[in-house]
Amino acid sequence: MDETVLYPARRIITMNRAIPFAEAVAVRDGRVLGVGRLAELKSWGPSRVDERFVNKVLVPGFIEAHSHVMAGGAWSFPYVGFFDRRDPQGHVWKGCGSIDDVLERLIEIESVMDDPNELLVAWGLDPIYFAGERLLAKHLDRVSSIRRIFVYHANGHLATVNTAMLGASEITAASTSPGVARDANGQPNGELQESAMSLAKAAFEKLITGWSSASAKWNFAFEARNAGHTLVADLGTTRLAVPGQREAWEKVVADPEYPVRVMVALGTGLGGPVDPPSMAELAVQLRAESTDKLYFGIVKLVIDGSIQGFTARLSWPYYYRPPEGHHGNGLWLIAPEQLNEMVSVFHAAGLTIHAHCNGDQATEVFVDAVEAALEAHPRWDHRHTVQHCQMTTPAQYKRMAALGMCANIFSNHIFYWGDQHRDRSIGPERAAKMDACATALSEGVSFSIHSDAPVTPMGHLHTMWCAVNRLTSTGKVLGAGECISVMDALRAATIGAAFQLKLDHVVGSIEVGKFADFAVLNEDPLTVDPVALKDIEVWGTVLGGVPFEAGVGRV
Amino acid sequence: MSEVIGRAEIAVTVLGGYLGAGKTSVLNHILRTTEQRVVVLVNDFGSVSIDEDLIFAKDEDKITLANGCICCSMVDGLASALEQVRALEPTPDRLVIEASGVADPTAIAAYAHGRKLRLDGVITVVDAETVRARIKDRYVGDTLLRQIKAADLLVINKIDLIDDAKRASLRTWLSETTVCPTVESVQGKVALEVLLGVDTRSPTHNGNHGNHGPASAAPGSGSPAADVFTSWSTTVDATFDCEALIAVMSGWAEDVVRAKAIVRTKGATGQPDNRTVIHRVGQRVTSYDDRPWIAGESRISVIGLAGQSDQGVWHTQLLSSIIQRDDCDWMTDAATDGSVPATDSGDRYTHQP
Repeated sequence: MDETVLYPARRIITMNRAIPFAEAVAVRDGRVLGVGRLAELKSWGPSRVDERFVNKVLVPGFIEAHSHVMAGGAWSFPYVGFFDRRDPQGHVWKGCGSIDDVLERLIEIESVMDDPNELLVAWGLDPIYFAGERLLAKHLDRVSSIRRIFVYHANGHLATVNTAMLGASEITAASTSPGVARDANGQPNGELQESAMSLAKAAFEKLITGWSSASAKWNFAFEARNAGHTLVADLGTTRLAVPGQREAWEKVVADPEYPVRVMVALGTGLGGPVDPPSMAELAVQLRAESTDKLYFGIVKLVIDGSIQGFTARLSWPYYYRPPEGHHGNGLWLIAPEQLNEMVSVFHAAGLTIHAHCNGDQATEVFVDAVEAALEAHPRWDHRHTVQHCQMTTPAQYKRMAALGMCANIFSNHIFYWGDQHRDRSIGPERAAKMDACATALSEGVSFSIHSDAPVTPMGHLHTMWCAVNRLTSTGKVLGAGECISVMDALRAATIGAAFQLKLDHVVGSIEVGKFADFAVLNEDPLTVDPVALKDIEVWGTVLGGVPFEAGVGRV
Repeated sequence: MSEVIGRAEIAVTVLGGYLGAGKTSVLNHILRTTEQRVVVLVNDFGSVSIDEDLIFAKDEDKITLANGCICCSMVDGLASALEQVRALEPTPDRLVIEASGVADPTAIAAYAHGRKLRLDGVITVVDAETVRARIKDRYVGDTLLRQIKAADLLVINKIDLIDDAKRASLRTWLSETTVCPTVESVQGKVALEVLLGVDTRSPTHNGNHGNHGPASAAPGSGSPAADVFTSWSTTVDATFDCEALIAVMSGWAEDVVRAKAIVRTKGATGQPDNRTVIHRVGQRVTSYDDRPWIAGESRISVIGLAGQSDQGVWHTQLLSSIIQRDDCDWMTDAATDGSVPATDSGDRYTHQP
């Protein structure tokens, strides 16, 4: 038996109904021995009082139930995004507010690179905030005419490269891949869209390698820890069926310095698994090999595309102001019939399915599939989860409640794309109703909120802020009727996420018997102005009783 | 639709169609009967089952067939897969890209251009039995409609599963839905010349093509397609007005399933005449100047729907696009007996001297 450590704090918010607030927590063997008054806790026997958190506020460790390990991999490269962003080591990279800012940063980085053959890969570019101006090869040529440069955009669908990269990749006026954007003279302008990004082969490979490396896994954890997270789900990025992928996770996570628990969902690739029964078998087998720190056994499916990309599947009246030539509705990545079969197989195998559904029509087919699977194979407590759940309607929430389904709502969209959704993709009414936490709450659907990092930065104080305030990046409120209280947002970010990962018996609240996983905050989220929620500083975390301070650690 | 493209070496066929329509049957039929060197791109090997008896060797990302064709997966994305196909030695004759069951083939076809590639056409396969119901499905109807509208050639598969009344009604509905030529099949069996054209360009196939019987639509093959095509070809020692010829070939109605012209056209001033190749698949017409014209006759081959096609009209229209007759005689051979002869009998036109 380890020693018992008592942590007095300014306040402990437990998410534990019996003792919702406490002044101290006792930790033994990596678990919560009790919460309550310090004097009370001392009655457990010999203990040591650790006062490092006396001025801090402890909440259950945040749980990100929808992120991707690339969130860590991206930090293998310099950041040139619009918003300030904290890197895994805690350094805040100032946002690049203009093309000149982007170039200035790249010039600075380029100037200290020695080998002219080394690629310069940067990420996070978000030109939608640049009032129509696009970053092109001619701009990047100002950084270097010799070194190959590749700038990956935040939306993941685009890259901009310089002339040296175009030349080295043999992308010329004769290249007619539609993803190669051109200037008025027909010359490639440096923008490579979608599949055409892979034409800049050397850089693209470097990017992919960076995403899946061991340092990506470490940075993923550091970024999580810096924002107060103690459990993160890598939702479908890792193809566990590929030899070595599971072992790579096991090796990294087993390191006592690795600061988070990880749930690695079985990624089946876009289009879903080719052979659902064998995937189901694999997931069941992997689930049995879970440890206290590394969990397997959930399955991720991707049903449709994205709303801002006009590829999500919407119900009538479809898109509001789609680009010219758009077909009217988005794309299925898995055909509904195939989805029925996959859901039926995974459901019957006793697994929990997490399905990416951005549009309401995608939600509809997933709910239909779950309903059919339940009729054929009644099963209680499956916790199948609608992921993103951005346009899910009240009627759909009612069905989800009736069927025992969960929701993981992409609240961060309200801030990052809310204006675009209102003005362009789905129009004012549906934008006001999107990411409907209040509806989920009132219809009785257990829900969480998420960042989908690296799509948006990981950090539950920010996702909570979005769910509570519903402010867009231009400061407009998007559907005040769907705002929820800070307490409800905190519940979603902790025990709500734990529930849908089927780990609420071990994490998600600070109560006796659960892992001693805490987020350590400098301010009290229940007493600050809700608009300041996102600005609360995070000291770090406690994971299994071990403090992990933000901004510390190797890569 | 007419597009002038650069010299191309690999003809690209995009094979689309909803789940269960029979894309894999068509694919296996192509691989089983083709004499071209075909490369097939699929999303994932698991999603397509190549008939086991065709397979020579199989590894993680490539299946090699006994006839030299290969099948690759697109794990790293389409653009990257296309680069790999371009780099293949020897250059394949044909690339068939199998779209996923929910993909919009147009989006894939958009990549089938550029260095070494020529989009031959989009072939969409529909399931005769289920297409009418599916098109009304609120979830997938629009996806299916997009696939049908993307087609240059529509294959109605499983035609044996519906009765004559349903068949007539389906044909009427399709003719109101799309203008592209439509062929029927059982188990994906469609005359190879209709699917892939009459290209005998491959240097590995030396001569005697003209003597080959129909690759797939032979009587008795069980294909109801066998009695619906008429093929016609003509040779003439003449120089054509390229644009006029393209206009003629573009103007034909949907009774023309496929056409190919290898003709002499006027070169730029001071330059030798060109050998121009024009392909028509359904409504899609593409053309390119192959190389300088050396010798021989221009040749035009057309596959049309029997009973609907008027060869006399084709002939007259083609005549109008000639700017200079180099001698006098048209030589025409036509087959209306239901078979589709390999019309390009002229290795003399396609071989480098």
